[in-house]
Formats: sequence, C-alpha cells, structure tokens
Amino acid sequence: MVIASSSVTQLVRMKTFYFLLAFAAIIVVLMSLNPPTTPAGVLSTIKRISFGTMDIFAWLFAIVSTALLIPKDIEDRTLYTILSKPVRRIEYLIGKLLGVLFVIAVSLAVMYGICALALFSRESLYIAEELGAMQAGAQYSTEEVEAQIALIQQQGLRVELGIAVLASFLKAAVVASVTIFLSTFASSSLFSIIISVLIFIIGHAHTMATSFWLYQTDNNLLVELLLKCVKIFIPNYQLYSFSHGIIQGEAVAYPLVWQMTGLTGVYLVVFIFLSLLVFIDKEF
Amino acid sequence: MSNCAVEVKNMTKVFSRGLKKSDYVVAVDNLSFEIGAGEVYGLIGPNGSGKSTTMKVALGLMAPTTGSVKVFGFDSGDIRARNEIGFLPENPYFYKHLTGAETLKFYGKLCGFSGGELKDRISELLELVELEGAAKRRLGGYSKGMLQRIGLAQALIQRPRLVILDEPTAGVDPLGSRQIRDLILKLKEDGITVFLCSHLLEQVQEVCDRVGIIFEGRMRREGPLAELIQINEQTSMTFAGAKPHFLAKVRDLIEAESEVTIVDEGHPKTTLERLFISLSQSEQEEEEK
Repeated sequence: MVIASSSVTQLVRMKTFYFLLAFAAIIVVLMSLNPPTTPAGVLSTIKRISFGTMDIFAWLFAIVSTALLIPKDIEDRTLYTILSKPVRRIEYLIGKLLGVLFVIAVSLAVMYGICALALFSRESLYIAEELGAMQAGAQYSTEEVEAQIALIQQQGLRVELGIAVLASFLKAAVVASVTIFLSTFASSSLFSIIISVLIFIIGHAHTMATSFWLYQTDNNLLVELLLKCVKIFIPNYQLYSFSHGIIQGEAVAYPLVWQMTGLTGVYLVVFIFLSLLVFIDKEF
Repeated sequence: MSNCAVEVKNMTKVFSRGLKKSDYVVAVDNLSFEIGAGEVYGLIGPNGSGKSTTMKVALGLMAPTTGSVKVFGFDSGDIRARNEIGFLPENPYFYKHLTGAETLKFYGKLCGFSGGELKDRISELLELVELEGAAKRRLGGYSKGMLQRIGLAQALIQRPRLVILDEPTAGVDPLGSRQIRDLILKLKEDGITVFLCSHLLEQVQEVCDRVGIIFEGRMRREGPLAELIQINEQTSMTFAGAKPHFLAKVRDLIEAESEVTIVDEGHPKTTLERLFISLSQSEQEEEEK
C-alpha cells in the first residue's frame, strides 16, 4: 500500500489530472453544440463521445503511466533504495499497479461525474421542452407523450451507464497488467508503450483470429502458430465492448458483467504472475 | 571473526555479454572478506573493479554466480537481511516530487514504521543530517550535498545495524563532504557497521578501520588500515618546539649510525581540504561577528 500511495502521489504531482480539464472542455463544447437531430440523438452523441473519450483516456493512461513508472525507478536508482529495504518484489509490482489503477478509477469517476451532470441537465431541458411543446399543441395522447419522454430518458442519464465506466476500468486494468509485465524485461519505456499498444490493437482482433483458427482449414503452420499465440497470450479486449450497447441504451446483461469482472481478475493474476517470474530474479 | 556483519565467501559474479556461452565477463572473482560488527570498512579500487557488484550482491539486488554473501548470518537474498541494511547509492535520485520529510516517511513506511514513532524518527534524522530547515522542500530543489544527506537519513530510517554507502561524497563540495564524513564517524560511535566504496582515498583513510583493495574483481590487499599503509622499514618522529641546535644534535646522532639515513626532513603539512575548511570556518565566524 505504501508503494501504491507513493505511485498515486507521483502520478498526481506529474499533473496527470490535467487531462480532466481537457475532458471537461470536451463536454462544454459538446453541450454548446446543437446538431439538427432529435433530442435523443443529441444525448446519444454526447454519451458516445464522452464515454469514448473516457475509454481512450483509461487505456492510454494505463499504458503510458505503467510503462514509465518502473523504468524510471530503475533509471533514477530509486529502485535500489526501495528494494534494499525489507520490501518483496511482488509488493513493489502490485503496489505500482494498484497506484496506476487507483488514479484511473478516480479519473474515470470524476469524468463520469462531469458527463452525468451534462447529460442530466440536457435531459431535463429536453423533457421540459418536449412536454411544453406537446401540451401546447394538445394534439398528442398521454401515451404518445410518455413514449417520447421514454425515448429521451433511454438516451439520458441511467444508472446502468456506471457499468460502461466499469468496463473501461476493467479493460484498463488488463492493459496495465500487460504493460507492467512488458516493463519487467523491456529495455526502455518506449518499447513497452509500443508493444502494449500493438497488443491492444491485436487484442481487438481476437474474434477474427479465433474464427480463423476454428474454421479455416488450409492455414499454413506459421499462420496457425501465430493465431494460437494471439488466442493464448493476448487478452481479448473485444469482450469489453459489451459496454457499447449499454451506452446506446440497451439493457445490461448482469451475468456478462460478472463474467467480465472474473475474467479481468484472471488476466490480472496471470500477468502479475508472469511479471513476477521475470522480476523476481532480475538483477539491477 | 566471530561477530560478523558481512561475510563474503568465495564470491564470483559472472555476467554474460551475448548469447554465446563463451561470451562473458568475470566482474568478481573468488572474493572473500569479512566485516566485523561496528567496523568501518572501505572497499577501494578503480572503475570496473567489482566494488559496486559486490555491494549489489550484499544488498540482494544481484545473486552471486558462485559463493555466498551473508549479512548478520542471513543470506543476502533473504528479506530478513534487508531489515538490517541501510543503503545509500552513488548520486541518489529519490522521488523529486516528494519533500525531504515525505521521502523519509515513504522509506519509513516501507520498513513498517507508522504514526508517532515514524514522526519522531523523521525529526531525529532530519536533525542528524541538518536538514530540518529543508524538510518541507521538494527534493527537486535540493543541492547534491543535501540529496546525499537525505539519502543517508533514509538509509538510517529503520535503525539498521549495517549501512552500505556507494561513493558517499561523490560530487559533493568539501564542506558537504566533511559533514558526511562526520556522520560516518558518528555512526561508528553508535556501533553501526559501515561498508563503503569510494574513489576518494584520503577520505577512506580518514574514516575506515579496515580496507580492501580490489582490482579486476580480485582482492589484492586487505587488512587494518594502519597496518596496510605503514612503511615498516621507516620511522617518523615529529617534534614540537625543536630549536636548530637540537635538530643539529639529532642529525649528528643519525650520521654516526651507518645503517640509518634521513629519508625526509621538513615541516608536517596540512591537507588542502583541511586548509579550505579551516578558512571557510574562520570566514563564517568573522561574518557572524
């Protein structure tokens, strides 16, 4: 916990939270736009852009900050003074990971708060406007008014949106654990960042690789080997896109959420274990 | 040696330089020495002689290829050994975003300290290294000497029985260097074992009880400092208040002996460092007046 809280302080003092200001600015710009579409359409756009930005922030921050923290400690020899104290190497690794995850969690929570505030204000405004317009004309039935409001509410602020934020967090946690594994043997932060981004991209082609593996019979040995490697060693980031439906107003499949949380736990354990295998005998 | 702080036994460290088995370098070759509890031991040698590798093995940052290194009876890779060690690396770069007090708090917590005990220990150490005034300043604004002193404070945070110092005065001005030396002597007074590496031989001479001279990974000479540096076949005498006629008598006496010759004669000299420090101190006293 000491290393985790120190990593949080380090990231905070590196002014990483400045990103939140940029996010707030994006929301302000979005709120000032009035595209020629239905109220539900506007709310849907705000959600898609906001949650997309949150997702990008989460995985990008997970890669960059994790790739920087350990090599920086080695380069500055801070690691010597830490590991010469009665600190186990696994404590150091988990501490660094937890620090990064804590900052991501706080940032996502703040961004979600800003987004929720924006959505709620827009949604309330649209409902009031719709009600006013429909009642003024008096040509719509109560059912029609309720259906119109339900349509706006479906694209407005819903508790279920929190699950979409959780999906971004879970994905970022896996990305961070992969990056921490890479940085235990990488010679530079740049290498860890590039390889992590590559793995992230390949991880989004998991389904394609799997279907290739299962249904294509004329693969040559090299292609098959490559596909098997992708399947076994690279996390399936595509699975986390279940949040897209939630953002679009679909119902949440809670068993899937629990399944994804469990799978994230498995990924974390596997990558921390692999990191430890490399790090435990690493010489500095 | 019965009461051993560090016991290096036939330690060899080999680094491979490529994928081929034949491509390797022997950094430390069958090194053996012991450091008694409460001793100040200096390991000296040129760059690449294996000093830092030996220290890293003692700290558990590296494992020996063959042989063993024990710290107070524990294998150097054992976490219990690290409870007993404080380490100051050469040119330490701690977290620049932390203040001096926060740095000590961080390392104290790593060693399991908390609450009032940690707070008291931090104040005690800041006073010891004379950094009370800079406790709330971030390390980014510290001078090299101040960094070295906060580094020494973090090394002492858990009251270790052994302190390992790698080039403790590298890049520090003479006054800062003197402060660090005084701190090493204070540690010795408190019964703490000090194991240091330095290029500054004069400083090693001033603080060490025993010295090992390492070259190309092998121990060339080792033993108590006084024994190592004395020239057994020569004797020196220093007189105070000797008048010319007295010195003439001594010379006559020596010339009468056929086997004895005067090798050197003159006034004892101070060091440039001592001269610099005494001048700085008198300047400071003048300013205070």
